[in-house]
Amino acid sequence: MTLRRRALLGGLAAGAAVSPSVPALAKLLTVGRRPAESFTLANGLQVVVLPSRRAPIVTQVLVYKVGSADETFGHTGVAHFLEHMMFKGTDKVAPGEFSRIVSRNGGRDNAYTTYDSTGYHQTVAPDRLDLVMRMEADRMVNLRIAEKDLVSERQVVLEERRMRTDNVPAALLNEAVNEQLFGRHKPYAMPIIGYADDIRRLSINELTAFYRRFYSPGNAVLIVAGDTTPEVVRKLAQKHYGPIPNRRVEVRRRPAQGGTDLPQRVSRGDARVVEPRWSREWLAPSYRKGDTKHAYALQVLARLFGGSETSRLWRAMVADNKLALSAYAGYSPTSLGLTSFGVGIQPVLTRTVMEIEAAVDFEMKKLVDGGVTADEVERAQNQLLAGAIYAQDSLASGPRIYGAVLSTGGTMAEIDAWPERIAAVTPADVVAAARVVWRDSGAVTALLTPAEGSR
Amino acid sequence: MSSVHRCLVLAVAAVLAWLPAAAAGAVDIKQLTTPLGIKVWLVEDKSTPVVALSFSFAGGTASDPAGQAGVTSLMAALLTDGAGTLDAQAFLRRQEEVAVSLGFSASLDRLSGALRVLSANREQGFELLRLALTQPRFDPEMVEQRRAQTISQLNQAEQQPRSVAGRTLMKALFAGHPYAADPEGTREDLNTLTPDLLKRRAAVLLVRSGLLVSAVGDIGEAELAHLLDHAFGDLVVGTVPPLPPEWTPPTAPRTIVVERPVPQSTAVMALPGIARDDPAWYAAVIMNHVLGGGGQQSRLFNEVREKRGLAYGVSSGLRTYKRAALLVLSTASANERVGEAIRIVRAEMARMRTDGVTERELADAKTYLTGALALSLDSSGSIAGLLQSLQVDGLDPEHLTRRAALISAVKLEDVRQIARRLLRDEAMTTVVVGKPVGVVSEPKE
Repeated sequence: MTLRRRALLGGLAAGAAVSPSVPALAKLLTVGRRPAESFTLANGLQVVVLPSRRAPIVTQVLVYKVGSADETFGHTGVAHFLEHMMFKGTDKVAPGEFSRIVSRNGGRDNAYTTYDSTGYHQTVAPDRLDLVMRMEADRMVNLRIAEKDLVSERQVVLEERRMRTDNVPAALLNEAVNEQLFGRHKPYAMPIIGYADDIRRLSINELTAFYRRFYSPGNAVLIVAGDTTPEVVRKLAQKHYGPIPNRRVEVRRRPAQGGTDLPQRVSRGDARVVEPRWSREWLAPSYRKGDTKHAYALQVLARLFGGSETSRLWRAMVADNKLALSAYAGYSPTSLGLTSFGVGIQPVLTRTVMEIEAAVDFEMKKLVDGGVTADEVERAQNQLLAGAIYAQDSLASGPRIYGAVLSTGGTMAEIDAWPERIAAVTPADVVAAARVVWRDSGAVTALLTPAEGSR
Repeated sequence: MSSVHRCLVLAVAAVLAWLPAAAAGAVDIKQLTTPLGIKVWLVEDKSTPVVALSFSFAGGTASDPAGQAGVTSLMAALLTDGAGTLDAQAFLRRQEEVAVSLGFSASLDRLSGALRVLSANREQGFELLRLALTQPRFDPEMVEQRRAQTISQLNQAEQQPRSVAGRTLMKALFAGHPYAADPEGTREDLNTLTPDLLKRRAAVLLVRSGLLVSAVGDIGEAELAHLLDHAFGDLVVGTVPPLPPEWTPPTAPRTIVVERPVPQSTAVMALPGIARDDPAWYAAVIMNHVLGGGGQQSRLFNEVREKRGLAYGVSSGLRTYKRAALLVLSTASANERVGEAIRIVRAEMARMRTDGVTERELADAKTYLTGALALSLDSSGSIAGLLQSLQVDGLDPEHLTRRAALISAVKLEDVRQIARRLLRDEAMTTVVVGKPVGVVSEPKE
């Protein structure tokens, strides 16, 4: 394996007087990929092992297939609040002790909540893997939530919301955009952290019911990366997670439609804003929902349209026409439901919103009508694939990718096939994807401006 | 709870015994000198087909010439905006074609750069580095673009509570000293910068004297030496820019409130800190870890967040500069409660100053700090960054081996002494940004 990789690299270097070709990079990724192993325990827990001997550390990530999109209107913020409360103890581990134990064993830990998943992770020395697995398995079933811990943590979550959202005008506007784009009261329309009123009302009963409903070995993926072996992980996972009985968890559903009343415009005038921002989001298919066959071409589209300072949008808006200080396009396919494709512009102060919109529309129309060149598609593919090779250089990125894909209905085979699928995207695919997504009937345009009269 | 605990205490002793060796062993640092005399540290690692280079030049934004505040940062940003025969677009396209990431940034004391390249494309990567270092273009059009972006960032930073707090703190602590200046510059001075001034600044800072280089990844010694001489060899040896003047820390307490229309106030507090070469450094690191460093185990985290729910984040950290050292504490809390959060932070500082830390806290901090070194060896770039920070601190590679012994030698009394020396809140500068209730500027401005 190592030999084959060396040989390939040699070949790449020779051919790289111009640049490594897309197929060569895709091949490099496939061949160079560290062997990942996956197995499933009898209780349904899927386990993925990503060995790497680089440093004497190992990372455990336990991802539950539940996120804020599994909440209902009036009860937002439960998934994230529960993530906080998972540090508040079991019969065996006192409130707040989980992280202290990891720390005094020379490790670090944290957790995160997304629309579709909730993850808990620790990085420790390899011989502490047994310890963190025991504690993680313990809190999968034995969580205890005390009223007094709930009361103080509620204030913490509200402070987190103030820091991330209420203090940040762009984040407040983003909440309004999602409400329109995904349809009021629907999944993805509501903020992950929840609305402040819901956070204030949340009860122990709600948290406990959510925990019982979704926290089960069959509804989770365990990823272990770093200085370990599949054999060791299998043994430890069997020992700690194996005895936990599976509980049936209902199949999660996501709406096939987003907002019903599109296109929409939302704007926010805010005294805390000094310079305007213009953006537009379109409903877009993900790997899982909508016209999923476009998910790979959309990644190439985002890259070549606005993924770097050599992209079409940047050149048009910033470099050539001096209409903007910055310009970007973005798309993330990893979602259980529909996702969004976004374009954002920071206008030069002397330019009007109408000028900006006309220029962005012109670039989009030029792409859809005039097509894209094989050369620019290849450069975008190159960047995406090179990014993936660099991701393999970091211990943290493997678990992140596997966790996101496997918790949203994806498979190991899909992750393996990603380089080939990106490499297979043609210029015609890119234009077809743009036509599907860039439709008025799926768009929300947002404008963030200084407060009326504040300039 | 107790059963888990008891077996853990034993486990801690075991882990202390082997972790240091393992962590140090993972980083086998070779020290090389190239034929042209460039000194470099190398960690050869063939586990991924990547080479990461981290380097820095002596002299940063604190030595921006008078009337040119921001010239070093703007120059650093423009180094990759076109060089040699390649204009900005061509240079970046070339980077993308060979999958090279190259960037420069300036801090108060140094101008730093990082290169990341697939080992198969290393020659093209080092060639782009050579061009950026020796033939940057500073095309007027790109100067205008980066200037406008920088000014825009300065404008936005004035509305972000955390940025405002950080800037206000540095201004207050370093009044009359070059460290008071915003590394990004001022609108007024930025508007006067010309391509010529930027070129001159590059000529002064990009010299081989004071250059520190570290490399990690799939590359051998001989080839690295060859490529470094190619990239840096055309730079003049030159001289290291003079250090900023000595700093006299404030001796009186001060509170500054900056009004911003936000529901949550950001608070930062700073005291004079400890120099990196002070013999009590690791005692201070341990004290800081117990007080508010490292995360979810600290006293501040427990008292401010866990017990009272006063904040989402609260932490403390040691900062070192060439001519100053600080202990900085920060948190953010609803306007109505930020006064209480600050009171608790100060109470914890006072408790630490009076009582020091417990045996248990000392032992836990030692285990964490020893193990945490390995946690930072996560990618080629982060290992190169670790080497670079050792070089900047004037340490030798063996420090990674010695470090564990230095940490474990710290005694309770050492921590008590450093707490008494550092945690003197009669000299504390506090900045609160927001609409805090019950917190006012003192002395009145």
